[in-house]
Amino acid sequence: MNARWLRLFWRQVDVQLRIRTFDPYSLLLFFLQPAIFSGVGMVLSRAAGQAQPDLVYTVIGGGMLGMWSGLVFTSTFDITRDRRDGTLELIVASPTSLAMVEAVRTFTNVVAGLASMAAAVAAAVFLFDYPLASVDLPGALVSLGMIVFGMWSIGVFLANFPVWSRITGSYVEFLEIPVALVCGFMYPIGILPGWMQAISTAIPIRWALEALDTALLGTGGIEYYLRQWGMALALSLLFWGLAHWLGLKIHDRIRVSGEMSAI
Amino acid sequence: MMQTLARYVRLYLVQAWFAYRALFAWSTPFNYFVSKFGFSFFSMVLFVFMGRFVGLTDPVYIVIGNILLIPATNGVSGISMTVGNERQFGAMSYLLGSPAPRPPLFLGRALFHILDSFVTVAVALPVAILLFRLDTSETNFALVLLCVLVTSFTTSGMGFLMGSVSLVNRDGWMITSTLSLSLFILVGANFPVESLPEFLQTVSYSLPMTRGIMAARAALGGADWAAIAPLLAGEVLVGMFYVALGYGMFRVLERRSMVAGTLDNL
Repeated sequence: MNARWLRLFWRQVDVQLRIRTFDPYSLLLFFLQPAIFSGVGMVLSRAAGQAQPDLVYTVIGGGMLGMWSGLVFTSTFDITRDRRDGTLELIVASPTSLAMVEAVRTFTNVVAGLASMAAAVAAAVFLFDYPLASVDLPGALVSLGMIVFGMWSIGVFLANFPVWSRITGSYVEFLEIPVALVCGFMYPIGILPGWMQAISTAIPIRWALEALDTALLGTGGIEYYLRQWGMALALSLLFWGLAHWLGLKIHDRIRVSGEMSAI
Repeated sequence: MMQTLARYVRLYLVQAWFAYRALFAWSTPFNYFVSKFGFSFFSMVLFVFMGRFVGLTDPVYIVIGNILLIPATNGVSGISMTVGNERQFGAMSYLLGSPAPRPPLFLGRALFHILDSFVTVAVALPVAILLFRLDTSETNFALVLLCVLVTSFTTSGMGFLMGSVSLVNRDGWMITSTLSLSLFILVGANFPVESLPEFLQTVSYSLPMTRGIMAARAALGGADWAAIAPLLAGEVLVGMFYVALGYGMFRVLERRSMVAGTLDNL
């Protein structure tokens, strides 16, 4: 059972990574768009009279934006492409559940998005001499792991919507910037108005990202980390639960209506 | 002569209306508004907070700049799609095989996008003025609207160019998206062009919108026609250059496709 599962997992990761590698749109999502947003941040810093941009938020925050944008678009594009190519019915009807296919795909997409984060950190270190000595490395790595887990849970949840209907799926893409906005990808969340901060409390990425930013600045204590990671983990599990519930609902709907290729 | 002209005008208008409807008519009103304003609006708010974080307390520059950048959504992405989608939806061979004159066929795709972006900015700008309580006591609104109209037209040139690129490159949409995003940096929407490194300033001044946005900002601040005329003249020249380049590229590609029979097969 385990060997079969691992084989399935590996084959899908392999195919998905190839798709991401050969799709030039990945280049835009993972590297070009975050670089442009970071670029705006850098020139704004310059216009504000600062000699150097804030590396944690402006540069490394761009990597976070790349991970998130990549996830939102790839998770929806994959299903949209399946619908267009006529393979969505085959996937839904195959013995491997759609939830399983989506989970592995989304996992691969999130992990591929780490390339964006790696590029941002490399830019901060090699172009701007970001001091690595002050970084709380274990804290940063665990926080990054929590971000990956949180994004994975949201990605699987969102991937249900394009299966549900084509038009619903197209709305999912518009979550890209609002989530980056309320979670404080490119600035400390404290500068947002209270109501925007309140919205972001429901998003696991926000908690893990705050922990990551603190770890990069090297200013966090263990209690702080545990609280942030605990919230991120709990909310991620909630999203997994919601994704499972939604997946079942949509499966039922597809079976009853039989309208999958038409909607 | 008059009959030929009437035929051209009719074809131009019919083509313009159908190209615009083809892009938006299948959409729901909500989807239309979200696709037009969603990314632009939330990006603007993101930039406002980025600016606040680095110490820029007045968000007005960014807000006005991003509203003036709205024509790029229609002008670059919209027009590029109406041209590039012909190939994707398999309509290219019918288009190339038709005896219709090419200028109205190609250039007509811009008309409603220009009007659409003009109306959008004309509505969004007063809303921003009211929300941020901008001092408009000296503003010359007629000149501001003229600047917006000119900018809406000049961005279409870039859309034609990118549309032609989409005809020969399967990843044209990626190139168009990258270009659209880079406008956030290059045309002075979020900060003055002078804040850019020198080589990027050269790039900036060779793009449509840069002078148009500068002129609109000046008109909002109370500048008169004499002050903004050189900027608008430069904007029109740059825009015409891109329209000519886009159309020229389309004709070259058309001729090549007739010889090689490849345009619809890529």
